[in-house]
Amino acid sequence: MPHFIQHVCQLLYDSQFGTYIRESDYAFSIIESIHVLAITLLVGTIALLDLRMLGVVLRGVSVTRIAHTVFPLTWSGFAVMFVSGFLLFWAEAAKNYGNPAFRIKLVLLLLVGLNPLIFHTTIYRRVHEWEQLELSPWRARAAAIASLSLWSGIIVAGRMIAYF
Amino acid sequence: MLPLFVALSHSWLGQYMQQSRWGFAVVEAIHLLGLAVLGGVVLVVDLRLLGLILKTESARNIARGLSRTLLASLTVMLLTGIALTSEEALKCYHSPAFRWKMLLLAAALLFYFTFHRAALLRTDKYQTNLWSRLAGAVSLTLWLGVGVAGRAIGLL
Repeated sequence: MPHFIQHVCQLLYDSQFGTYIRESDYAFSIIESIHVLAITLLVGTIALLDLRMLGVVLRGVSVTRIAHTVFPLTWSGFAVMFVSGFLLFWAEAAKNYGNPAFRIKLVLLLLVGLNPLIFHTTIYRRVHEWEQLELSPWRARAAAIASLSLWSGIIVAGRMIAYF
Repeated sequence: MLPLFVALSHSWLGQYMQQSRWGFAVVEAIHLLGLAVLGGVVLVVDLRLLGLILKTESARNIARGLSRTLLASLTVMLLTGIALTSEEALKCYHSPAFRWKMLLLAAALLFYFTFHRAALLRTDKYQTNLWSRLAGAVSLTLWLGVGVAGRAIGLL
């Protein structure tokens, strides 16, 4: 299996399009800049929901209002990050494959995907009982802390890819 | 301004940043974490001023509810930004991208605490008007400019 993945990475790396992004004067830098600035759209917006549940921001606005407001922004941020991130990977796949920072980032991304899955099927189902509270119940706060920590880890690991 | 950059480069901070193996990378990562939060706050406040989100909440309350987080993330960005600059102060001094970033940052901050603030106070009664929309659009453009210019420092 690792050999197969490594092989696919090499194929992507050697492909015409991957080579184009890597060797073009501007393509990689432009995509990378979009990837960095879209952090605000993806992580910045979801962090506000997390901070609201922790009672740090917008305590007077219900959790569901904040959630409904930020989800479209977060999801558009996710789309931009996913596409730009995949293009960056396409260009550098063979190098990324063995990069420890890249591997850690992928694991953290997997974990951060599980978090809302658990959150939405458990404590968020009864959100109408606690949406007005200034401080959300501990399960929601735990989810918020997990989300903030994992996203921070993803940003840090992502930045570190360039240093390995 | 040049002596200031030379002094920064020779300061203990500059010396530490230049000699440390991981200093720059770690501070840069924290700078990005600050960007995430600051960007999120600016986005929500300005989209509210534009009348695109949270229309039934007053813009003033939204901004007030986010102001501490805005100041905290801005402080993190400024402090880490100074540390990053100290690592390559002279390169920054001569970099057009860096000069643009500082100019846009000054403009964004000045705008934020004057016209933007006035527009927030005026949109208290839940509606949006031409002024609030203009303030939201100008603010978003200025902050985006700061980000783009910042990204360009490492590229040009």
